[in-house]
Amino acid sequence: MRPLRHLVAAGLCLAAPSVASAAEDFTIPSWTGAYQPQGEDERGLWRESDEIERAMVDSELVIRDPALNAFVRGVLCRIIGDVRCNSVRLYVTRSPSFNASMYANGMMLVNSGLLLRMRNEAELASVLGHEFAHFEQRHTLQGFKNRRAGSDLAAWAAVVGALAISLGSTNATYQYTDLRLNIYGGIARFERKQETDANVLGFAYMAHAGYRPSAASDVWRAVMNEADQSAEGRKRRSGRYDNVAFFASHPTNLQRADYLSQLANRVPGGDFDGAANYRAALAPWRQTFLEDQLKLNDFGGTDYIITRLAGGEQLTPDLLYARAELYRGRGHPRDLQNAIPLYREAIEKDPALVAAWRGLGLSLLRTGQMPEGKAALSTFLEHQPDTGDAPMLRSLIGA
Amino acid sequence: MNRKYLALALAGACVSVSAVSAQAQERSAVRPDFAVVDREAVRVIVYRPRVTVGEQSTGGLFEPRADWNDQARQFLDAALVNSQQALGHSVIAPPEISGEQGRLLNQYQALFNSVADSVINYQFFVGNRLETKKRDNRNSQFDWSLGPGVRNLPGAEGADYALFLTTTDHYGSTGRKVLQVFAALGGVGVQSGVHAGYAGLVDLKTGDILWINADKQMGGDVRTPDGAARRMSQLLEDFPLASPAAAAN
Repeated sequence: MRPLRHLVAAGLCLAAPSVASAAEDFTIPSWTGAYQPQGEDERGLWRESDEIERAMVDSELVIRDPALNAFVRGVLCRIIGDVRCNSVRLYVTRSPSFNASMYANGMMLVNSGLLLRMRNEAELASVLGHEFAHFEQRHTLQGFKNRRAGSDLAAWAAVVGALAISLGSTNATYQYTDLRLNIYGGIARFERKQETDANVLGFAYMAHAGYRPSAASDVWRAVMNEADQSAEGRKRRSGRYDNVAFFASHPTNLQRADYLSQLANRVPGGDFDGAANYRAALAPWRQTFLEDQLKLNDFGGTDYIITRLAGGEQLTPDLLYARAELYRGRGHPRDLQNAIPLYREAIEKDPALVAAWRGLGLSLLRTGQMPEGKAALSTFLEHQPDTGDAPMLRSLIGA
Repeated sequence: MNRKYLALALAGACVSVSAVSAQAQERSAVRPDFAVVDREAVRVIVYRPRVTVGEQSTGGLFEPRADWNDQARQFLDAALVNSQQALGHSVIAPPEISGEQGRLLNQYQALFNSVADSVINYQFFVGNRLETKKRDNRNSQFDWSLGPGVRNLPGAEGADYALFLTTTDHYGSTGRKVLQVFAALGGVGVQSGVHAGYAGLVDLKTGDILWINADKQMGGDVRTPDGAARRMSQLLEDFPLASPAAAAN
């Protein structure tokens, strides 16, 4: 599996070489057709992925909506072409974090949290292209071999160090520690290099298909902004983006954003965003994905996502409702006060958004506006008399 | 999985500098109120066992091996059928499963694995036992259940019990074994190989777990027919459906 992101800040000056040779980077390598794993390591890794995929096929986490699946797959196939696309099985999983991953055997997982955060096809394409590039470049196998070689050496170093100590050497411990850190640092550096390579190739697919290249860096800037907001909401220091954690397997998000936008300036690329298509395809699911995000109890991050999805325009009813729920969920008296007009606006713009009556009623009751609150809850119960907590709501309004 | 491998690598390095303690590594339990009326007529359904076979690199990393997995599956299946037939039970293969049924089975397999892991961690082995489970051990209690929903499992209507099997094997590579010898010279213990497994029997009417057998150091090379037979006999040690005569053998 190749996780797309750790919010752990990471990085090193590894962006520079790949940017310098950007001219060659945009040629898409020739495709060898249906690939079968070679050698015992690769065959073993594929078999292991096959077992995971067996479970995934029957997993309750997978969203099986044909329309949503066809849309996500359509974006992937548009950038990599039908021949490459044929080697991928894509599963959309109901998981609110921002991630996508690629397995050795061609299984691709796309989290619903990723779909919620993207604003257009171009942004989605940049992430899917990156994940597919890991597969095309066989990164799982190379990464595995690299880790194995490193850990073999470390194990020998440990034993030889122990022998040396037992034979009376005094400084062997320090030497061993130095060597071990070197080895693990090397493994991490190798993985960051793979991330960079995958970003460059993924970017090439995207530009080739005529998507707006700068969307790729938009994604990573948004990730940083969300992390900052999330940290602020939790009264924590945000991660740093300019510096490297020694063991980080991924480049920093700032580095990604920077070199991706440098690359964007070099290729002609297209200007297709596909924002309207994207909104239409996600429309049946956005409410659900927003509700999943709300349950993460991440006030700052969620608020940022809502703002970004609005894109500088007025909030749509589902976003109004999500922000109202976000405030009511935190539940300070001032939050309830803020939530009430948001619910009202959501109902006004979309009377079919019945759930807003529930939140409005509860917020009104908790701010002491009893008659209005009871009326709002009654309206909700008229529309949904069989809702799960109906008896509790009835007891609140004394019905 | 990047981080997982890195963590494994670090764990591997840690193993090489910490002594490996030898403790009781095998344990089984039977639900006290379990009683079979007619042992001969028992029908046991076996859902796809979880089989993981691979090599252990010098540094302790797990290297999956496709051929070994295939062989182990084939040999273990055959050994299971043999052992059950010897007991006079019918072994039922699950029907062809897809869609809703597949998802239900997937959930119950995951549930069984979680419950079995809890039994193993919190009731069976020293180190992490819960006080309440220690008390159960003293009172010979063994009370775990998946709930009566197991009745809806595909194939459940034609069977009395479901048998779940899990085996994990990491065979030490030559490099690992050489490391082990050198480490021993330096006075540190390096473990070569991981061979663990557990088996559980579930009542398909009530969902109660009737029996679990867990072993952290199993014998039998599952890559060979004879070894797989030995592994299966260890997995099914104290199998509660064995007739008293068969158990005595």
